[in-house]
Amino acid sequence: MQRFTIGLLLILILLAACAPAPTPTSAPTPSDEATEVATEAATEAPTPEASASSEFALTPITSVCLITDVGTITDGTFNQFAYEGMVRAVQDFSLDSTFIETQAQTDYQANITTCLNEGYDAIVTVGFYFTDTVLALAPQNPDVLFIGVDQVIENAPPNVVGIQFREDQAGFIVGTMAALMTESNIVAGVYGVDMPPVVKFRNGFEQGARYINPEIGLLGVYIDDFQAPDRGAAAAEQFIGEGADVVFGAGGPTGSGAIVFGASVGVWVIGVDQDEYFTTFGGGETPGADRLITSAVKRVDNGVYHLLGVAAAGETANWPAGSSYVLEVANDGITFAPAHDAAVPSEVTERVTAVLEGLRDGSITTGVDPVSGQLLDGEAEATAAP
Amino acid sequence: MASATRTYSPGEERQITWRDILLTRTGIFSIIFILFGVWALLASPAAYGGGTTTTFATGPQSDPRRAEIAIPTLGFVLFVGLLYVGGGLAGVAGLVSERAAWKRAGAIWLVLNGILIIPTILVMAAAGTPGGINVVTLLQISVRLATPVTMGALAGIWCERAGVVNIAIEGMMLAGACFGFITFTLLLGAGMDAKSAQFLGVMAAVFSGWVMSVLHAWLAINFKIDQIVSGTVINILALGLTSFARREVLLSSEAGRETLQPIVLPILSDIPILGPVLFEGRPIFYSMFALLIITHIVLYYTRWGLRTRAVGENPHAADTLGINVQRMRWINVMIGGMIAGLAGAWFSLETSGTFDDGMTGGRGFIALAAMIFGKWTPVGAFSGGLLFGFSDVLGFTFQGLNVPVPSQFVQMVPYVTTIIVLAGLVGRATAPKADGVPYEKEGK
Repeated sequence: MQRFTIGLLLILILLAACAPAPTPTSAPTPSDEATEVATEAATEAPTPEASASSEFALTPITSVCLITDVGTITDGTFNQFAYEGMVRAVQDFSLDSTFIETQAQTDYQANITTCLNEGYDAIVTVGFYFTDTVLALAPQNPDVLFIGVDQVIENAPPNVVGIQFREDQAGFIVGTMAALMTESNIVAGVYGVDMPPVVKFRNGFEQGARYINPEIGLLGVYIDDFQAPDRGAAAAEQFIGEGADVVFGAGGPTGSGAIVFGASVGVWVIGVDQDEYFTTFGGGETPGADRLITSAVKRVDNGVYHLLGVAAAGETANWPAGSSYVLEVANDGITFAPAHDAAVPSEVTERVTAVLEGLRDGSITTGVDPVSGQLLDGEAEATAAP
Repeated sequence: MASATRTYSPGEERQITWRDILLTRTGIFSIIFILFGVWALLASPAAYGGGTTTTFATGPQSDPRRAEIAIPTLGFVLFVGLLYVGGGLAGVAGLVSERAAWKRAGAIWLVLNGILIIPTILVMAAAGTPGGINVVTLLQISVRLATPVTMGALAGIWCERAGVVNIAIEGMMLAGACFGFITFTLLLGAGMDAKSAQFLGVMAAVFSGWVMSVLHAWLAINFKIDQIVSGTVINILALGLTSFARREVLLSSEAGRETLQPIVLPILSDIPILGPVLFEGRPIFYSMFALLIITHIVLYYTRWGLRTRAVGENPHAADTLGINVQRMRWINVMIGGMIAGLAGAWFSLETSGTFDDGMTGGRGFIALAAMIFGKWTPVGAFSGGLLFGFSDVLGFTFQGLNVPVPSQFVQMVPYVTTIIVLAGLVGRATAPKADGVPYEKEGK
């Protein structure tokens, strides 16, 4: 017990001695010794002192390394869009870059370490599941910037930022589209796992539909699996049987299964995350592509591009140190995809565009909590004149 | 059931203790039913008073052929509550009483209550919803979701009836789903028309299931490796192999997501309710029924089936009668593998037009449960599959009806049902005697 107390005291003394060490004036790559100390600091005190963020100043980056979630840079998911954003930034800000395609979730740490060892100034990790690994490694590497797509970053070290989305706005926009296109006045959503981004999509969608028609029939189901297209299809079938004629699929392959089924039986369908016309519907090759009226789009590429731009210019003021950069309609991070082959009347498109503009200038709000995704008090709070 | 087998010496007066009621299956179910019944009787007047009705319909509101039945919710729930209390009391009476008539009445009443659970919950959940519940789609999807489970169970039956335990159904399905879809994609990319490519894709799925089963047979029959181990090996192998193949081939291909087209049988599909449920399906859905019938006939009405069962029950006796045990087992395992491969194609080619890692989602294991539920008979396996499909749909329906229960709990419904059914209602299911025992010729 006594030895433990002494050990603790020693660590505390060490910490106190080393606290001012990681300042931007020190060498760009931390020495091994500093790393070790920082490890202790990380385990002892995971949240930085409040003053840390005010002292933090960006050093303009010259190189960036992107690590995908399990998948590839051409897989049509946020991996690809994050990569495209990086490529755009690399060209515009003349950065050195590389990327690593993650093969399995167990490789997260190894891949980040690879990027660190090769001395990249910034590391872009794609996917929610990277969060813990990033937060564990970031304090040891205070001079490397970590940008995490879809990661909820709060009170983190100043070199870490997350990219989050207002899925509720995306859902709201396509919800108005659904309500304008339905003839049966019943619209349905097939959602993935019940977690904040998905809940935001759902509540946003339902609020958007109510915004157009407060009496609209809303059906929806969470399916506890993102990889179950057959169950997504079954849920869509159930809803269509109950009279729904617009199906919104928000939940990876499960949601795509729902909209592929919906399109095959001739109801209107709405995609998610990116323009599913080019992914799920093979650029119009797949039968039913003419039933896809829009997709609720998250511009992952814009988020990555923006933050890399900030980092390359060293604009400390625009760097959301230790927290998240939120993509919303107002910064062109959230939008809706065009109808392509589907016969959507131009009045509908105009009306939906008006809603988009309303969300942009704040005259329309979704009534959904942008963090938890729950409905705000007083439900159906979508305000402002249509 | 330990206490039920207790024996009494002649002359000893039979003592009914609390153990006889609390620790037997019948007793536990009786008490649960009584509690549920009392709860229904007490709580329902407040919940469903004021003339609430529950509507069951045969189509969406826009369908001109729609027919609907409105049930007064309160009356129904009160009636069911009485039934449950009565059933529970009858069950207890059966335990306490010596008379066979009481025992039989108690057992029948309890089973009736067990069957009534699902409609009761449906009536309660859908109370007062204006559109009501569309029974036709409910059944349609149940049967559709039963397809892979039933086929997986049939695959299991072919293997296990011949004495080879097959827990590798999941892996065989996954292999079928993946390589079937890859074949389809590659052929489509090579310029083949979609229909032929789909057909060859399905064939490739059957072939991949077969390859996996050859591995299983080889390990289990020839090398006499523990069959659980060899099954596990195949499941893990399939998971790795398919996700590798997906990454290498599918991610870079641009193929769209086409599914097998539905075939609506004329005339038959016009039968009310049953028509759309049974005769508006896609090819693998129909093949499930075909395989179900074929398996039943082969197993019980042919020489091959007799030999299969002999090999699974008593291989030594079969051997002395000149049946080649190893050969029988090999062929049966391979047939099972092909069925499982076809079931895999249901996931990728028939239903979703895509392949994702682990998309079979444990349905191969549920199939095993369905097989055991059905006591290793094809028809029983189908009812097990239906039960699972139905509980899966219930999950969606409940959520759609905004039952105030967290979605995670609702999603457990199929699995909880499986456990309850296996543990509570099926009773002892006896596997083929030689199931899982490698056959060794004596003196070898």
